[in-house]
Amino acid sequence: MLVEAMGHLWVAFSPGTGETALLNDESASILELLEGGAGTTLSISAVLAEDSGLSSASLAEAVEACWPRLIEAGLVREQRTGHVTSR
Amino acid sequence: MIVGKAQGRQTLAEVKFSEVTQALASAGVWIDVGAAVVRTTGDSESFAAQLQAVYAEFPFVGQAQWADLHVQIRKPHNVRRWFRPQVMFRCDGRQPFEPFPADSPLPLFEWGCNALIGRRLNDLLLLHAGVVERDGLALLLPALPGSGKSTLTAALSHRGWRLLSDEFGAFDPVSGTFRAVLKPIALKNQSIGVIRRFAPQAAFGPEFPKTRRGTVAHLAAPRDAVARRHESARPGAVVLPKWMAGSPTRFEPLTENVIFPALAFNAFNYGLLGAVGFQSVVRLVRQCPAWQLVYSDLDDALATIEAVWPHVMERQGATSK
Repeated sequence: MLVEAMGHLWVAFSPGTGETALLNDESASILELLEGGAGTTLSISAVLAEDSGLSSASLAEAVEACWPRLIEAGLVREQRTGHVTSR
Repeated sequence: MIVGKAQGRQTLAEVKFSEVTQALASAGVWIDVGAAVVRTTGDSESFAAQLQAVYAEFPFVGQAQWADLHVQIRKPHNVRRWFRPQVMFRCDGRQPFEPFPADSPLPLFEWGCNALIGRRLNDLLLLHAGVVERDGLALLLPALPGSGKSTLTAALSHRGWRLLSDEFGAFDPVSGTFRAVLKPIALKNQSIGVIRRFAPQAAFGPEFPKTRRGTVAHLAAPRDAVARRHESARPGAVVLPKWMAGSPTRFEPLTENVIFPALAFNAFNYGLLGAVGFQSVVRLVRQCPAWQLVYSDLDDALATIEAVWPHVMERQGATSK
């Protein structure tokens, strides 16, 4: 996955699917975490909470809101186990 | 390379009409637009005259060793030659597009060649943009149809800016420069009169009313642009034009997140180039300052661009030529 800062957003390119998408901070951070392996809403929000000092619950809501956009953009895919990976 | 009788010295405007028709009827006319060579044959006299008008400054070449596109502009031999006669575009033995009316071979040739160039020159990132050059730097004018891109590109090309293309921002990812895809500028409707008044010396082909986009006329590339069509240009700046009737000129900087999609998602082959396309657009966005230009007055629009150009040169480390 190639991710670059682009103004106040991020732009990501998936070599696997050829898809490009502009992303907000939350989506870009999720992608970065998924580069290290599959994750779930809970695991990702826990890491983000640790880094940011925000509550895991509020971050879980934000992470959950990002999935549809990331899946639609072809940047991540949901596995049968419920885990999500980058593509 | 073997060139025709003219050895590349005579232009299409300088040779006799009969030489052009003969070349079209035999081995063809080779037109080197910079990043590509188009070889065309044809049996339509009106096509020969129209080609001679809008490629006037190009060398007349009747034989060469390589062409990227081999195009035929032919009249059909069926009953359609009597009833609402048509002209057909064929390339590499195929007919990829629907025929046009027989009196409109040039719009068919231009439209067809542009479509095929957009599909085939995949060693280059083909942004949908006008490109002009000054001081070795490219000014990129990406825009959607109806935005005034062609009008602005045409105006700049008659005020000291070298035309590289009205349609293709042809970026070479290897050299990091823009190459020319120098073809006539297809002006539509009111833009034709605007440029005729703005540059009375400009050479036009005939007007074609009732095309899919209204009346179209092709503006020939200026002599200097043709002579220098193999000179590339470094990225300089990006201006997104938007013509708006009666609007005062507005010139506002654009952020990277606005300019990235304007370049990438309107490109002809961004998706096809994969990571190379992505990295090329990122590179251009990082390298080029970008503005939105809203305008209705051409002189004012050009003055605005002129005013900012020294800053572009400074940022890109360019010197006046």
